[in-house]
Amino acid sequence: MELLGHLAQGFIAAATPINLLMCLLGVVLGQIIGVLPGIGPSAAIALLLPLTYGASPTGAIIMFAGLYYGAQYGGTLTSVLINVPGESSSVMTTLDGYQMALQGRGGVALGIAAIGSFIAGTLGTLGLMLLAPPLAKVALAFGPPEYFALVLLGLTALAAVGGSVLKGLATGVAGLLLGTVGIDPQVGAPRFDFGQLWLLDGVDFIILAVALFGVGEVLASCRMGSADPILNVGRVLPNREEWRQARMAILRGSGIGFLIGCLPAAGATIASFVAYIAEKKVAKDPSRFGKGAIEGVAGPEAANNASATGVLVPLLTLGIPTSATAAILLGAFQNYGLQPGPQLFQ
Amino acid sequence: MNTRLAPGEVLLALLFAILGILWMVAAARMPVWSGFVPQSGFMPLWYGITLTALAAAILANLFLRRDPGAKEEPIGKPLVVLAALAASIVGLDLIGFAPSIFLLLLVLFAAVERLPVLRSLAVATAVTAVLFLIFRTWLRVPLPVGPLGI
Repeated sequence: MELLGHLAQGFIAAATPINLLMCLLGVVLGQIIGVLPGIGPSAAIALLLPLTYGASPTGAIIMFAGLYYGAQYGGTLTSVLINVPGESSSVMTTLDGYQMALQGRGGVALGIAAIGSFIAGTLGTLGLMLLAPPLAKVALAFGPPEYFALVLLGLTALAAVGGSVLKGLATGVAGLLLGTVGIDPQVGAPRFDFGQLWLLDGVDFIILAVALFGVGEVLASCRMGSADPILNVGRVLPNREEWRQARMAILRGSGIGFLIGCLPAAGATIASFVAYIAEKKVAKDPSRFGKGAIEGVAGPEAANNASATGVLVPLLTLGIPTSATAAILLGAFQNYGLQPGPQLFQ
Repeated sequence: MNTRLAPGEVLLALLFAILGILWMVAAARMPVWSGFVPQSGFMPLWYGITLTALAAAILANLFLRRDPGAKEEPIGKPLVVLAALAASIVGLDLIGFAPSIFLLLLVLFAAVERLPVLRSLAVATAVTAVLFLIFRTWLRVPLPVGPLGI
């Protein structure tokens, strides 16, 4: 009952016109930022933090939350329409989302991503309220062997996504290989910088994403002889059959995303990978994936939004930020005199 | 039956093999193991070995299972696009971000896609201006500046 009372108080605080406007502003800005490669929600919150000085803490935090969720969805826009992921968590959406757009169902892909994100965010918030303290303890019990297993799961899942397991594994290992460029985190010695100063920071994900997806798409459209612009996205709402196919994917993605989001350093990217593979495994006809299966959009999109809420579990209950965005949010909370942690709720 | 290899697939496998061998050679020159602790070269060495082995397996797979329907795809246009992209990257430091991107877009629209020159000029100018406004003016990203000051 106390929980319901607190929930009602939260709705009363959030439902004022000015706070709703701040939420709208945050979501719109977040979507713009999600579309732009190279700028993630953490950088956006850091950039916008000074602008909120003088605003009420409630409004500012609502805006940052809207920005975080909006950025997760913003990456979907470019993933579906031009096959370039705006965020690393939108990579899996390109596999089926872009195919749906080529089939004239781009609007449905965007619509189901928005609906799935909304449902996942709501379920994630319920999970945050009900399960936060025990989940935070489990999340912090994850040690190096568990993280190794999770990373191995993600990489082997990637190998299973494409048609050829050999090529999938080779591509995964090539990615790991490129990850060794820069400074060795254990020893601090530079590796594979070839005498170039700018390689000391390693190869940024955004550079890889734009090079592989963006340039690759441009070269592929050259090969086809004409570009295939997605000008008409068609209807946005899914029909009954599409909703029937996507609803369980949204629920599964929400659960997977929330649990993985609670884990330190796991994040929305791994959550979307695992959600996609889970959908492919439980599907009656896995051959549809990669050719415009709506579950391939609904599952990962729900997972990446649910993981955004999962990140708040260790942050709010224990005061421990488990991602870059959570660290910036911690700074924002402290700026407004709030200290996340066990004392926050007393 | 006329069976052919897809040249792109062979090229990809060879690229992986070269990358793997390069990494193995470079990693072998770094300290690999010290006492009971792996050093900087340990993981890159094993990644290189694994990638080389997988590349060999892909090549073997390609040669053993030839696709009878493999057809060659035109690569002229993609090569022009790649060359324009490479030139624009080199030009970033020489002539600056805005002129380099403007020329890249102009070449892509006018020369590659064969769109009307006026339309290509207009779109290239508009896109360059938007990128400049977003990244240089609004976000203050320090983009390369050329002799024209932009």
